[in-house]
Amino acid sequence: MSNFMPGQPLVAVVQRIEIKKLRQGENLILGFSIGGGIDQDPGQNPFSDDKADKGIYVTRITPGGPADAANLRMGDKIMQVNGYDMTMMTHDQARKRLTQKKEDVVRLLVTRKSLEEAVKTSMGGCYPRQ
Amino acid sequence: MSESFNGPWCCVKALVLPVLESWKAKGSSLERMNNSKNQMDSDIQKKIDHEIRMRDGACKLLAACSQKDQALEASKSLQTCSTRIMAYMSELQRMKEAQVMKKVPRRSSDAGPMDDRRPCKGKVAISDLRIPLMWKDTEYFKNKGELHRCAVFCLLQLGGEIFDTDMVIVDRTLTDICFDNTIVFSEANPGFEMRVELYSCCSEDDYSAGNTPRKLASKLSSSLGRSAGKKLRAAMDPGPCSPVSNGGATPLLLPVPSVPGPKYHLLAHTTMSLTHIQDSFRTHDLTISGNEECSYWLPLYGSMCCRLAAQPHCMTQQMMSGCLKVKQLGGDPQSWTKVYGVLKGTSLFCYHRQEDVEANVEPAFTIAINKETRIRASEKDPQSKVQNICISNQYGGEEVTHTLTTDSRDDTHRWMEAFWQHFYDMSQWKQCCDDLMKIELPSPRKPTPVTPKQGSLYHEMVIESSDDLSSTVSDILARRMRELELRSQLGTSPTWMSSLFEENNPKGAGRPRPCTSRFSGHSPCTPHRPPRSPASPHRCPQLSLLSSDASLTSDSDSHCSTSPCSHRHGWPDPSSNFSLLSSSSPSRMRPRTLSLDAKLSTLRGRGFRGGGTFQCSCQPPSSSPLTPISSRSPLSQRSTQTTLSCSSSTSSNSSSNSEGSHSPESSEGAPFSRPSPARRSLRNLRARLDPRNWLQSQV
Repeated sequence: MSNFMPGQPLVAVVQRIEIKKLRQGENLILGFSIGGGIDQDPGQNPFSDDKADKGIYVTRITPGGPADAANLRMGDKIMQVNGYDMTMMTHDQARKRLTQKKEDVVRLLVTRKSLEEAVKTSMGGCYPRQ
Repeated sequence: MSESFNGPWCCVKALVLPVLESWKAKGSSLERMNNSKNQMDSDIQKKIDHEIRMRDGACKLLAACSQKDQALEASKSLQTCSTRIMAYMSELQRMKEAQVMKKVPRRSSDAGPMDDRRPCKGKVAISDLRIPLMWKDTEYFKNKGELHRCAVFCLLQLGGEIFDTDMVIVDRTLTDICFDNTIVFSEANPGFEMRVELYSCCSEDDYSAGNTPRKLASKLSSSLGRSAGKKLRAAMDPGPCSPVSNGGATPLLLPVPSVPGPKYHLLAHTTMSLTHIQDSFRTHDLTISGNEECSYWLPLYGSMCCRLAAQPHCMTQQMMSGCLKVKQLGGDPQSWTKVYGVLKGTSLFCYHRQEDVEANVEPAFTIAINKETRIRASEKDPQSKVQNICISNQYGGEEVTHTLTTDSRDDTHRWMEAFWQHFYDMSQWKQCCDDLMKIELPSPRKPTPVTPKQGSLYHEMVIESSDDLSSTVSDILARRMRELELRSQLGTSPTWMSSLFEENNPKGAGRPRPCTSRFSGHSPCTPHRPPRSPASPHRCPQLSLLSSDASLTSDSDSHCSTSPCSHRHGWPDPSSNFSLLSSSSPSRMRPRTLSLDAKLSTLRGRGFRGGGTFQCSCQPPSSSPLTPISSRSPLSQRSTQTTLSCSSSTSSNSSSNSEGSHSPESSEGAPFSRPSPARRSLRNLRARLDPRNWLQSQV
């Protein structure tokens, strides 16, 4: 992920992922776990490149779950959920944003290292890095 | 002179010697000095001797003291005395050079137009010094129990006067270095240059290391240990502290006292002058010396706020006074009013009689004397023998002129001279003469209140008790908490705390229950502590523990909703919060206790392991206190984060728990307990709430 400076505009290559929540009894689940947040210690994030990045990352995908089916990968950084920015959220706020009872579908914008690499190689050397 | 001196002493020695050599060469002719010069010399000599004695005392104290605080204070006095000695000696040398120069006949081309007029002196005061710090949040998170502390103080120098502020210990929990002292310099010229220097010294065990880089110093401090360090210090001899004095002249040899002990280093400096003076607070830039590798480094923001005020003597003292006769222009030529005039500040006060001045009676009238005033001597009045003085002012759109006359030509001349001097002073002191600036005189030193260095929240907490049982219990608890803090290694959890969590503990029933309940009553609202208050790293995990307990109560809805909501923003201070909480819910203690125990047992029964998410019943207020935090000190959030991602019921979780048995991947950061395996569930919960872990939630 490119250098993340809180408060500064960020350029990233993102992928849209649409996950339909699965109803399990009373709950709607997405089938993955998140980690991170502005109230968490970013140095312990195993997925981030920049250890100061306090963003929300996907830490586990339940195999066979809705997120797995939608092609979400472990290590993805969630940038937006249904249009709401996730780069400056506490852990709990992020969790709530994903588990709104009224929403059946969440549309995520995620970024991952491999995406950037793919774009870079395909565009030769002129990919505008932030 | 075969000893090797370092630093400033070398320079002084080099300067002093040539001057004295040339002086001796002049022989006896120079011994015939003016009495006044002699007097000034001996004054400075006395001051130097006094400072040297103080310095000796400080050296001895430094060598003898064992406590860190004393050593820091003694070292600070040493630094101040040394600086003063330097200043006096250079003053002395300048005077001697001036004498030498006087004897040299000046060529006419050298002598330029001598400006005889000198501006009046004034008082310059600096107060409310505040230097902001800029801690990085990475520094904060790397904390493993060591708290890098520095002792800082400011040295202020103006002309020949040098003052130091009190010493302040600074660590990661402070956002600004504040010095409360007001320093007043009494004789300052308008062209003064006040030098402000910030000295800092790393306040850790190993003093013999001196200026070692921080990492090395911390390694050394952990390896040497207190007793070894003391032995080292004793082994090093304090060195010669008494100077050799050379008859009545300046002491030539000032051996540097090489005392072991904390040494202060210059961290930042700035120079202030007349342009910085204002009757309110201003920010000034600091020049920082040193870098991150130095042990005495502090991350300064780069500026300094203070209030620099001046009271020139022309504003506070009577510059001229005497009898006058005043007439307003355009009035009856014969209507001279006899007054006693006093020139002070921006006005000429005209009193009916001289006695009125001391009696504080209001003057008959006041003539403004400020930058817009025009004064001139008029032509000789045919009726009188002396010239008149005309003072013109613009009042509103009108020009009003007063005419003054005196009884003799000499008086008129003296008044004119006084007015010119006054104008000159005002032009030199510029903005200081617009209005009189207030300077608070420093009050006689009050003994500083002794505050515990690593202040624990429990010291400040006031546990109001409503009945006897709770009061004894709270006393016991408070004492135990204090013991805990003093141990400062919370690795061994005290036995009484383990008893809190045993279910079915009939013996402890009377005691632990009220204890738990009282703390659970407090905990959900670990206050958003204002960034200033000291937060010992050991404090937080305890609070997180307690908050986790409260969160487990299912009937805590009402409780959760009242306390966080009512303490949303701007927690005044921890003690009042806790006392408020304790007083607000004394009646609910007992019933909740039972439910807490019940909850604990249900949790145990389910084989609950942390890792799932809880639904928090008190949702709205939970995240807001996190936001109004100044960006400069993210670390102060530390204590607030413990509660707020917490939660109450576990019912929604059992289902989600079934697939995700995820224990938090991060390390158990909680430093304070190694609980037995039976309490793993609670430990997991605590770990979840510790901000130094990296939480994961299932969605």
